[in-house]
Parts: sequence; C-alpha cells; structure tokens
Amino acid sequence: MTGLLAYLDPGSGSMILQIIAGGVAAVAVTAKLYWGRLLKFLRIRKDEPEPPKAEPARGSE
Amino acid sequence: MSSPAETSATSQLEPGSFRDPESRVFYAGDEVYRALSPDGLSDFEALRESGLLDDERIVRTAIADDTAALRGLLVHEPAAVLRHERVPFVSYPYEWTFSMLKDAALLQLDLLLAALERDLVLKDSTPYNVQFKGARPVFVDVGSFERIREGEPWVGYRQFCMLYLYPLLLQSLKDVPFHPWVRGSIDGMTPAQMRALLSFRDRFRRGLFTNVFLHARLERRYADRPEQVKQEVKRVFKKELFVANVRKMRKLVERLTWNPPEGVWTAYGERNSYTDDDARRKDDFVREVATSREWGIVWDIGCNNGRYSRIAAEGARTVVAVDADQGPVELLYRDLRADGNDQILTLTMNLADPSPGLGWRGLERKPLAGRGRPDLVLALALVHHMAISANVPVKEFVDWLASLGSALVIEFPTREDPMVKKLLAPKREGLHPDYELGFFERTLGEAFEVERSERLESGTRVLYFARPKRG
Repeated sequence: MTGLLAYLDPGSGSMILQIIAGGVAAVAVTAKLYWGRLLKFLRIRKDEPEPPKAEPARGSE
Repeated sequence: MSSPAETSATSQLEPGSFRDPESRVFYAGDEVYRALSPDGLSDFEALRESGLLDDERIVRTAIADDTAALRGLLVHEPAAVLRHERVPFVSYPYEWTFSMLKDAALLQLDLLLAALERDLVLKDSTPYNVQFKGARPVFVDVGSFERIREGEPWVGYRQFCMLYLYPLLLQSLKDVPFHPWVRGSIDGMTPAQMRALLSFRDRFRRGLFTNVFLHARLERRYADRPEQVKQEVKRVFKKELFVANVRKMRKLVERLTWNPPEGVWTAYGERNSYTDDDARRKDDFVREVATSREWGIVWDIGCNNGRYSRIAAEGARTVVAVDADQGPVELLYRDLRADGNDQILTLTMNLADPSPGLGWRGLERKPLAGRGRPDLVLALALVHHMAISANVPVKEFVDWLASLGSALVIEFPTREDPMVKKLLAPKREGLHPDYELGFFERTLGEAFEVERSERLESGTRVLYFARPKRG
C-alpha cells in the first residue's frame, strides 16, 4: 500500500474543501466549548459531575 | 491476458465491474462471485473481523472455496473468491424515485460512518453500489470497504456530490427530475454544472455554499496542482475531520425533500379505494392468473399506484413495478417502505424510451430486458398510452411483449373508452387505424396463445391472459 489514494480521483479542490469545511466545524466545536465554560463561570449553568471517561483520547504527543 | 482455457467455461465477467482493480464480479451458473486481489483480500478480512460484514444492510457474502477456475480475471492473480447473495432484479439510480435515491444516499453515509468507527472506509460513493430488495436498499459492493490510511481524506466525497447530492438537490430545490442527468452521464453532475444551475439566493441555503459554490471554485483553482494538494492534505487531515464531514453531509441529505404534485396524491388515494364492478372483476382476473402458479419475476408495466403489483405479489417471488410517471411510484415506494416490503421493486421509466445499455462498450449498465427475463408481464391500461400517446404501432408493442418470452396479462381499452377518446381527441381524424379491437386480437393471437379473455362490465375494456407460443 504505497499510494495514499484509491482508484478513484478524489479531486484536488474536493480535498481542499474538506479541510476548509472541517475547519469550520472545528472552530464551531471549540466555540461551543468555550461558550459552555463562560456560562459556568458566570454561574448561569451549574457544574455537572464529570462523566466517566469513555475512552482515552489518542493524543498526538 | 487471460486465455479461454484459464477461465471456466461457464463463468462470465460482469462487464460493469472493472473500475476497481482490487475486485471483479463474475457469474457462474446462477451464482454471483467476486474475485479479490491480495490487497482486496486483506481488506475483506479486516471487514469480516470488524463484524460489519454481518450487518443486514450489506449483501450476504461468504468466501467460496473454489478458486481454480478464475485465473486471469484480475490484473493481479485472485487471492480469494467471494460468493454473494443474488439480488432479485438489478436496478439503477436513473430508474429510482427521489426517496429511493435519498435512502441509498443515507445507506451509503451510514455504512461509511459505521466503517470509520472500525478504522475502515468506503473507497468510493457510487449509487451503483446499492441495489433494492423490494423497498429495502442493500449495499452490494463489499469490495468498497478498505482499511483507512493515515491522513486520508474522504476520497469518495466528490463522487458522492456528483451522483447523490447534486441529483437530489436538483429535484428537491428546482423540481427538475434528476433521471435524465444521471442516465446521461455515468459520472453524474460536476460541481461546475451544479453551480451553474443555482441562483444567487441558493448560496445562502444550508450546505449549498460549501458543497456547490465553494466546491466548484476550489476545483477550478487547484485543478493543476494535484501532487502539491495530496501532500498537504496528508499532512493535516485527521480522521475526526473525516467523520465530521460525513456527519454534516448526512444532516444535509436528511433534510432534502421532494413531493409529487397535489393531483398525484388525490389520484393515488382514489384509485386505491375504487370499488366499482369493473375494478373488482379486473382484480379477480389478475389474482386468478397471479396465483395460478408460483411466478418468479413479474413485471407490472404501467403500474401506476401499484394496485396490481400488490395482487401479483400474492403469487410471485419478485414484482418489478414500473411507471413513466414518477409521482405515483414515489408514493408507492413510501408505502412499501413503511410496510417493510422486500418483494415489490418500484422503478420509474418511460417504456417508450426504456433504459439502454450504458457506459464502456454500452455494457456497464444493462438495458431493462438484459437483466433477467420476466415470467409474467402485466400490461394493464398501458397499450393505449403506448399506441396513441407514444405513437408505437400496436403490432410492434405486441411483438416486443412476445420477445420477452413470458406469459402476459394485457388490457385493451377500445376506441369507445373515455380515456382512449381523450387521448385521440387532439389527434387528426383517422390516425391510429391499427388501434382497433379486431386488429389487436389478431395481432395478439399471432404472437401468443390466448388462453382466456374477459370483457369488463362497462364494455370498453377487455382483459386477456396469453402464453408465449412454442410451449
């Protein structure tokens, strides 16, 4: 398995688009996270007990 | 190259399965097989170990033991051969109604998400990998599953847009049937073409700016830099991004809707409930033939709301219900889907312009009659549309039915029938002299053995049950 891609041409523009579209999603998720923290900080939303850790995230470090 | 001695005398390659070098479909006897390359086999084993192969949305598949007869079918020597469950009748996306294409799209995305959870992917996104068992979509290309590679984007994204998303958008947003587009181009609609069909306002609709407008622009901009893009994508792309993109696409597809015009709904309901004497006798006639023996495949051509398809299903293994009008077929599909029906396959196709052979050598997609002959054909309230609206000579239509080699139930509405009068009204006086009861009966008698006939109460409609000549 040397090549990255299969028999189908994924299209250069289509690949770039996925990064951009995914990037927008990533920003949205981050923003949501900080919004939650802000609400907690302002005591609008109460702290919830930490849910048990489902699976350890595969860190890149 | 393969020599005839290397392939089994009875095995026959599926001419539509050549694009993926890792797997190739062929037939031997009544069975469907798939030869796998060594890489294809490793991917298949990963799929099997993941447990996903046993999912009921995927065609039943097992490893076949005999591989000796298959040398030379693939670019690489086959490492293994799979045996697939046979789909009762093959159909193509340009014959499906809106909801069928949408359900196939959702199946594609759901299986991709399930695959990603198991570190697998689907290497392509073509609706030709989905078949219908009745109203239930089944994924048939087991060779599409492969192990995910680090930094791999959604390779099938562009294909998904071209063959699923854009055709669905076209019909959903513009009320333009996608069928001529999909039938006219085996690869579907390009981002640039789809973009050209949208208005300025459309770019503010959910999902359209990225998947159409931006997609078309980026495609143009990066067209001449594939190597550079590939390296860059590999560096930054993460599986999480892949999953997020597929989920977003699923949400977008889920939201798309299309409904037949209001008149179709009314007619659909009315025809299901009519109870006059003619209708009851027609029901009985069809039911008697349908249940007189066990039929394999029944075609109900001109099925309308599927009233007779349902009756035929009482005595048949599979019914293929075809109508040129997508509206009633769409409503029929929705009803059958709600019932969990896996016996009646709904298709929309103009019989005066039926699906031809398409693709490479005209063999990748088969014409209607090339996908398995019917055992019984129902042609009810159809011949006048073929003869008068589509100008097909009566004799040619009957000869075409005879060429199918199957038994036939046919209804002939006479020239006095209100519907026939309506169809003849705009035409010049004296046209269609061949549309006449006596001529029809002679023609039918020449091509078939007519077993019985019945004139309905109203007197303007005659039913026939006929068998092909020569036993």
